[in-house]
Amino acid sequence: MDLNYSAEDERFRLRVRQWIAEHPPGALGSVAQKKAWQRTLYDAGYVGMGWPREYGGQDARPMEQAIVAEEMARGDVPGAVNSLALGLIGPTLIVHGTDEQKQRYVKRMLTAEDIWCQLYSEPDSGSDLASLKTRAVLEAFEDGNRWVINGQKVWTSLGPIADYGVLLARTDPSVPKHQGISYFILDMHQPGVEVRPLKQITGSSEFAEVFFNNAVAQPENIIGREGQGWELAQTTLGFERGGSLLARVTRHQANMRRLVEVTQTLSRDSVPVLEDPVARQKLGRMVVEVEVLRYAGFRILSKLEQGKRPGSESSIDKLYYSEMDKRHQELIQDVLGPYGQLERGLPDELSLNSSTLRGDDATWAYNFLWARAGTIYAGSSEIQKNIIGERVLRLPREPRADRVPAGNREG
Amino acid sequence: MDFDFTQEQVMLRDLTREFMTRESTPRAVRTLMEDERGFSDATWQQLAEMGLQGVNIDAGYGGQGLGMIELALVLDEMGRAAYPSPYFATVVLAAGAIAAGGQATQMARYLPDIAAGRTKATLALIESALSWTPAMVDMQAQRRGSEFVLSGVKRFVPFAHVADLILVVARTSASDSDGTTVFAVPSDASGLSQKLNVEMDRTNRTSTVSFEGVVVPADAVVGEVDHGWRVIGPVLERAAVCAAAEMLGAARRCMDMSVEYAKVRQQFGQPIGMFQAIKHACSDMLLEVENSHGATYYAAWALDAGSTEASLAASSAKSYVGDASRKVCGSSIQVHGGIGFTWEYDLHLYFKRAKHFEPLYGDADFHRERALQLVLARAAADESRSQAAPALTS
Repeated sequence: MDLNYSAEDERFRLRVRQWIAEHPPGALGSVAQKKAWQRTLYDAGYVGMGWPREYGGQDARPMEQAIVAEEMARGDVPGAVNSLALGLIGPTLIVHGTDEQKQRYVKRMLTAEDIWCQLYSEPDSGSDLASLKTRAVLEAFEDGNRWVINGQKVWTSLGPIADYGVLLARTDPSVPKHQGISYFILDMHQPGVEVRPLKQITGSSEFAEVFFNNAVAQPENIIGREGQGWELAQTTLGFERGGSLLARVTRHQANMRRLVEVTQTLSRDSVPVLEDPVARQKLGRMVVEVEVLRYAGFRILSKLEQGKRPGSESSIDKLYYSEMDKRHQELIQDVLGPYGQLERGLPDELSLNSSTLRGDDATWAYNFLWARAGTIYAGSSEIQKNIIGERVLRLPREPRADRVPAGNREG
Repeated sequence: MDFDFTQEQVMLRDLTREFMTRESTPRAVRTLMEDERGFSDATWQQLAEMGLQGVNIDAGYGGQGLGMIELALVLDEMGRAAYPSPYFATVVLAAGAIAAGGQATQMARYLPDIAAGRTKATLALIESALSWTPAMVDMQAQRRGSEFVLSGVKRFVPFAHVADLILVVARTSASDSDGTTVFAVPSDASGLSQKLNVEMDRTNRTSTVSFEGVVVPADAVVGEVDHGWRVIGPVLERAAVCAAAEMLGAARRCMDMSVEYAKVRQQFGQPIGMFQAIKHACSDMLLEVENSHGATYYAAWALDAGSTEASLAASSAKSYVGDASRKVCGSSIQVHGGIGFTWEYDLHLYFKRAKHFEPLYGDADFHRERALQLVLARAAADESRSQAAPALTS
């Protein structure tokens, strides 16, 4: 057991920190600015670090990736805009794509020449994603066969700016639901695709709805085999979990520092909130729980450094950090009282959005609302608990109405 | 970055687990729960042959000279088996205090006998005020020539009834920041009397120990006069992590029993573990156990490595694992239903074992407050570039 960073790691960290200090991102309002910033990060070697060199990556050690993520969080530096392509879609294509697909798409993900989104969830298919109804039918046209796609997706991050999407659609309704799904590359710039921003409880629109009305995909734009979509989507989901816990920790610590400053200013009964024992217990709880997340981050990193892949146990981390964030945002609201709820009009000395924290929207109120999403997206807490219970603890699977022979299923 | 145990550490854990599985069976534990002395001399001697009392003691004094990680691994297994013995009192508290005192003559006098299993010892710290700071020490030590005269009452002294040696913390001068002194007192000293408590957790015995004019020589002082907390502070910090290891072991046992039970217990025609209400309760247990593992062993590593984060890690571990073990062990009774509430079923041995350590060496509230202080001190130090950090005080 050795949980020190090596001298080499520390030198690397200093280099990253220096680079960040020398490269302020400036305003990143427009898509073009965001893409340019990713290009700058890529040229510095900080995008796709873990990807193989032959696909434009760095073959960097997990530790180096973690250090970059941590330092970017520490410097409040916006990450690469093409986050889904870098985290999930690119790696899936590298593993399962054809040579032609890899050649055509992968490098351009790193340079943000193409932005990608993920077309998975549907209004009637959330946790039960495999029940999805969006249809892809192979039809004959004069110039050859094409997949014709009809249906609706929802909770699509980056939808409004995406050039391509990876799409899960049903290609065979006659077989059990997990077997009838295929995985497509979809051109988002075509008449049959309509993207509508989805306004959330935050009042902002990080997600979109996407409607397909006879959208098309070429036969060569299927990833893997027809009917293999569910299997591939599972590996994709696997990349999404366990992510960069240490960067998360750094962000929590930065919020915590700001909260401490605010509680020195804010008073209750003529005493600074920071001196109130009840408030201190809440702050102390947050300190401890973030520390525990940091140790979990070290455990994952230790595993990755040995070349092992975190398996189902990364569900534990996702469950912990998302539930923790919800809990902490509630504690912050307790401490700040009605000030915590202000979206506008909060005095500067009490605001979260003071100097170092990310984005114009980063108010305490926004964080409180946003935390509700974390325990729902990327597999809800309930789904994570099913995974932990069934795949890690080996408890018996519950009987499910959808596990019936194909012939008995409707449509 | 390596969070795995070394091969030697794995061997030590396996050896301890094998021993505990064989010798500290629920049946054996129950026998000792009814035993007047509450532990078995035979297993104590076997532990000594395995070198476990000396796991942390310097090789120069007959120990193995290993670190906190190894000690935590042993205690994790003892918690898991609810092993009744004066191990924590002797090894973590008493030997820890003597080593922290740092005097060669005392170390040479006591540590080899502790390592060899010949001496059982304990620490008499808490008084009527529930606190983990020097200010709570009210017991007086009056200087009389070259001797000290001890008068006062100590509570919750673990395994005092079988200890040969009692380390006791007494006040030698009026001061809130310290003014205490640690003394090593033979348990048969004149003026010393004991009254045994009956603890909810019968695998741990505690006593109220009264000192009425107990006379000790000047060379009984462990560490320095008036600076007792320089000894006790580090011991409490290490004890907090050791208590976390005990609670972690007990929680692991409760989780394992619950998961196994959920697979075999049938209601409504299916194993109860098939129901999400039970499955999710078990998943929550695993989350708490895994986080507790990370917190406990990170803290143990940080203490061994002399990391600047050791104090924060120790407080994080004690506070987190205290809450987590209560949740896990409590939930395990719920998962079991009625049978988990019976004396006959073994679950309560581990439930109570974890509970025993929850308030000791600083409860979760205490360590949350301390963690916050440490973080605030670090932020201030970051600004002023000084090295200040608070001692184990609130």
